[in-house]
Amino acid sequence: MTPKDKVRETITTSDQELVLASLEPEQLAGLKKHLIPRRHLKGPEKFVMWSLRIYLLFMMVVVVYQVLTSLH
Amino acid sequence: MNLGPLNRLTQRSVTQDVVITHEDVDRAHDRVRVSAARAQRGAFSKFRLLWLLVGPGILVMLGENDGPSMISYAATGARFGIGFFIPFVILTFCMAIVVQEMTMRLGSATHRGHAELIFDRFGPFWGWFSMIDLGIGNFLTLITEFIAIRAGLGFFGVPPWAAVGSALVFLCAAVAMHRYWTWERTLLAIAIFNLIFVPVALLTHPNWHSVGHALVTWRPLPGFSQDTLIIILADIGATVTPWMLFFQQSATVDKGLTTKDIHLGRFDTTLGAALASIAAVATIIATAPLFAHHMTAENFQGAEFAQALQPLIGRFGAALFALGIVEAGMVASVTISISSAYAFGEVARRPHSLNLPVMQGKSFYSVLFLLAATAGAIVLIPGLPLVYVVLLVNVVAVLAMPPALVFLFMLANDREVMGDLVSPLWANFLATCVVVFLTVAGILFGISVIAPKAFAILGGK
Repeated sequence: MTPKDKVRETITTSDQELVLASLEPEQLAGLKKHLIPRRHLKGPEKFVMWSLRIYLLFMMVVVVYQVLTSLH
Repeated sequence: MNLGPLNRLTQRSVTQDVVITHEDVDRAHDRVRVSAARAQRGAFSKFRLLWLLVGPGILVMLGENDGPSMISYAATGARFGIGFFIPFVILTFCMAIVVQEMTMRLGSATHRGHAELIFDRFGPFWGWFSMIDLGIGNFLTLITEFIAIRAGLGFFGVPPWAAVGSALVFLCAAVAMHRYWTWERTLLAIAIFNLIFVPVALLTHPNWHSVGHALVTWRPLPGFSQDTLIIILADIGATVTPWMLFFQQSATVDKGLTTKDIHLGRFDTTLGAALASIAAVATIIATAPLFAHHMTAENFQGAEFAQALQPLIGRFGAALFALGIVEAGMVASVTISISSAYAFGEVARRPHSLNLPVMQGKSFYSVLFLLAATAGAIVLIPGLPLVYVVLLVNVVAVLAMPPALVFLFMLANDREVMGDLVSPLWANFLATCVVVFLTVAGILFGISVIAPKAFAILGGK
């Protein structure tokens, strides 16, 4: 018996009806395995994301420097 | 409500192949109650609907009033007294509302967690960057929660190993119900004790005229120095941090909120911010007498604040303060661990819900517990500079926010996913202001560290 079969076995028909009646289709855990298609990033978007990534890396170096100077 | 085309893709694919899980059944029961309350008229039904839908917003805001945050607020009161920082902290909570409303809207519209959406829409390259930021931030913050719990319980003479052990037991008990609804209500009941700082503030007999004056004029202003800048960053980091984005969106999805619930989701977020800001301001007011008595508080961890306040507010008041620090650490250790486990499950495509029985959510519960246990163990290492770690964590959280906010900003404006629910112009303006404010604060901190002379030219000391 597969894990899927085990789950099916413990869920009654009335449970299934309740779920299908009360939840929106995208709310079903089983459907969340479908990926949402990738977004094409434009030039300015890539620029902002890279800038902030470099900013964060630089600031982490600053924090490490601050820690080292404080410890000495 | 017109949702985005990508959101509608799955609507036609409900087939017999989809396995209905226990997670779905539990969520369906919750939604039946919401639908029943919405169908009825009258004030009681409206209140019941509100009661059923609030949760993620209050929990994320009170959860962010965590151990290091309360210690930051206490340090603020002790170093600067009543003045600029009271309205400033309220401003930071307004920023938190702007940011968190977007996560609630995203979760309600897409039924996907934040990590999942970033991976799907931006790909694994940017997704992993985001996850590394979250993982490091969450782990460091978890360490500070255990520091706070250890410090708070230390006031009552509890040894460190027992304090860490009791926090881990609390974490296990909190998630042992395997039901989102029960977990949320239990944690809400405990989180409301964050307001314990209000009676502590009242016991100090604050000068309400000074409080009112500070609220209106933002004065007296603190001197512009690196210390002030670190406190400013720590107070911002005490209110807006990356884990909150991931937690509220995932909790919104796990609770099962839909686009019909967005209006009350906004109320939930605003109510949470109001309660949390009351607790934060109360903490500043509570420790302001230490400033008035010229008591240095540079290396206080929480228990030391309680001890220093004891001559002024008595043993009972000091004990309340210490209990508040413990509660803040306990609640946040649960919410932050869960935020990490949600993100892991979303990225690894493993089951991730508090409605999961242990056997179906082994990876979810394992990540949650192992992360907390490791953070707790680190706190027990002798000689660790705990106070420094606490301040540092809040600063790191602020520095990591701008990149996290750009992902959120782009997702909330992604018409293909959000449809008509994309952010309105005013929300985008406010969100841009928050990103610019946080980036400028971070840059000023950087200048003060690596180029103190340039910082002095800007007016800093």
